[in-house]
Amino acid sequence: MDAGSVEHLLHFVVDRLEVGILAVDTEMRVVLWNRFMAMHSGKPPEQVIGRNLFECFPELPQKWLEKKIRNVFLLRNYAFTSWEQRPYLFRFHHNRPITGGVDAMQQSCTFLPVKGDGDEVEHVCINVFDYTDTALYQHKLMAAIGELESEREEQKRLIKRLEEAQNQLLQSEKLASIGQLAAGVAHEINNPIGFVNSNLGALDRYVQDLLRLADAYGVAEDALAARPPEFQAVAQLKQQIEFDFLREDICSLIKESRDGLDRVKKIVQDLKDFSRVDSSQEWQWTDLNKCLESTLNVATNEIKHKAEVIKDFGALPEIECLPSQINQVFLNLLVNAAQAITGRGTITLASGHDGDWVWIAIADSGCGIAPEQIKRIFDPFYTTKPVGQGTGLGLSVSYNIVAKHGGRIEVDSLLGKGTTFRVWLPLRHETNEAVDASK
Amino acid sequence: MNAPLLTQDQKDALQEIANIGMGQAGASIAKVLDEFVQLSIPRVLFVPPEEIPVALALTIGEGQVSSVRQAFHGSMRGEALLVYGDQRCNDLADLMGYDGKLDHASELELLLDVSNVLAGACLGEIAKQLGMTIGFSAPSLMADAVPLESLLQAEALPWKTALLVEVNFRLEQRSFACHLVMLMPENEVAALAAALDRFLESF
Repeated sequence: MDAGSVEHLLHFVVDRLEVGILAVDTEMRVVLWNRFMAMHSGKPPEQVIGRNLFECFPELPQKWLEKKIRNVFLLRNYAFTSWEQRPYLFRFHHNRPITGGVDAMQQSCTFLPVKGDGDEVEHVCINVFDYTDTALYQHKLMAAIGELESEREEQKRLIKRLEEAQNQLLQSEKLASIGQLAAGVAHEINNPIGFVNSNLGALDRYVQDLLRLADAYGVAEDALAARPPEFQAVAQLKQQIEFDFLREDICSLIKESRDGLDRVKKIVQDLKDFSRVDSSQEWQWTDLNKCLESTLNVATNEIKHKAEVIKDFGALPEIECLPSQINQVFLNLLVNAAQAITGRGTITLASGHDGDWVWIAIADSGCGIAPEQIKRIFDPFYTTKPVGQGTGLGLSVSYNIVAKHGGRIEVDSLLGKGTTFRVWLPLRHETNEAVDASK
Repeated sequence: MNAPLLTQDQKDALQEIANIGMGQAGASIAKVLDEFVQLSIPRVLFVPPEEIPVALALTIGEGQVSSVRQAFHGSMRGEALLVYGDQRCNDLADLMGYDGKLDHASELELLLDVSNVLAGACLGEIAKQLGMTIGFSAPSLMADAVPLESLLQAEALPWKTALLVEVNFRLEQRSFACHLVMLMPENEVAALAAALDRFLESF
């Protein structure tokens, strides 16, 4: 191949290459403009060659681009632009008029110093590469990565909720088994109490009979004109055993014992009511005042040393609820109220009825909750109690139980003065309402 | 310990060439930026790749860094690494033809632009002193504001030793500082050694 045909070949290749090739001189005049540039810009070489680049393309960022080209002349070194930072140098249509996705051909450019015979750079040649496909892939990739990341976030959130749910489940499992245990124990206690109670009844009667017998003997003794000397010993024995005191005391002892047994029976009944194993997870029409009373009895040991309990119950209609769970809520609130009190204070229980809603308020004269803590008190595992005193689950479990009932818990607290929790519950359970309506 | 990759003479020669090269580069950069540029005396050392971040920390200090890499090829091959501090080179925007407030993309483009100028000038001058010709690939962003210690960690560098030529730039009137590190893998140092020998013989 002779030099002439090599030059022709080079010429041809430069012109037809699928890369934009242009060159400017030190005056920014265009000296080379290949077919790619002509096709995409719509300006044939004869409109561009010999003219100032920025006159031909006034939309180019002249200050920046001219500085960039001048630096290549000065430094005799390459320069580059990348589509990632600057999507294009020349605004050309891209090769996807139909399937699109970007607004113009994405370009990366190389600025080539072209030296003359000496070391001086005479021209700067700019190669414009079409990166549209790469850019589209990149955009897709970024979108996919973004999606994956948001999915991962969502997963994290779900895992956290799952953990919370599991902890609540564990907690309620534990409470349920304690309830079952309590109900079992209550049942076991009921049996002996039953026969002790009836024995005591019989005992009461027998004692009355015996006393009557003793009285009769007394009357008989008084009727005798002359008492045989044996009566001396009987009088002595009567004095020895303080018979007069005994006959009075024995009655009150029996009465007290029967009262005591009644109280045991009541507590056992409350325990059974509280745990409700017999009918644990069923929606029932219930009087909340009674619920609160029986829960109060169960919790009395926690409370009696700390606070005086003041009751201010209003008349309540029965509401449809899960009584064992509502009892759970009341127990949590009562125990919290007692624990909030240092020294001795008061716990005020109130209830009321407003349209389709009833409310129960449990107010303590305790330490109160700081405003910044209030928004966190229903979070699982949030506790301000010392280690071992609170799991941080009580209020969270209560909140969820009340939410399940379609109700809400309001908190009103003044630091140092005390806290009032007010539980609002609707009269009817919503899903049941829907069932009723369909009947 | 492996045999040193360069003899003491070669190392001295490289130091000398780097010194001259940086002087020339400073002059060219000053022409581009219209500002007087301070260049440190280059530090030439061989380090195992895992010690590169440590070596960089000595001069850069702690904190967030951004970095750009640019490959060079031809009669010697390697990569130039340019490391910038918190402010990157935003203060040079107007000198490089940018107007107004920089958005994130322009900030990065400016970073690549300035890196290209600095690496081109410095490595070009070193190559020229050695009578070698090198070309450059487009610079690419390596780290966008990351802690220094994570800079090279993710990169699995396959070589046992890298030649590190480190230069620091500073402009008197502007808040700008940058560290240029020239990294060459072991097997590429042979070509450099041969060129240094030719350089030494020319005296």
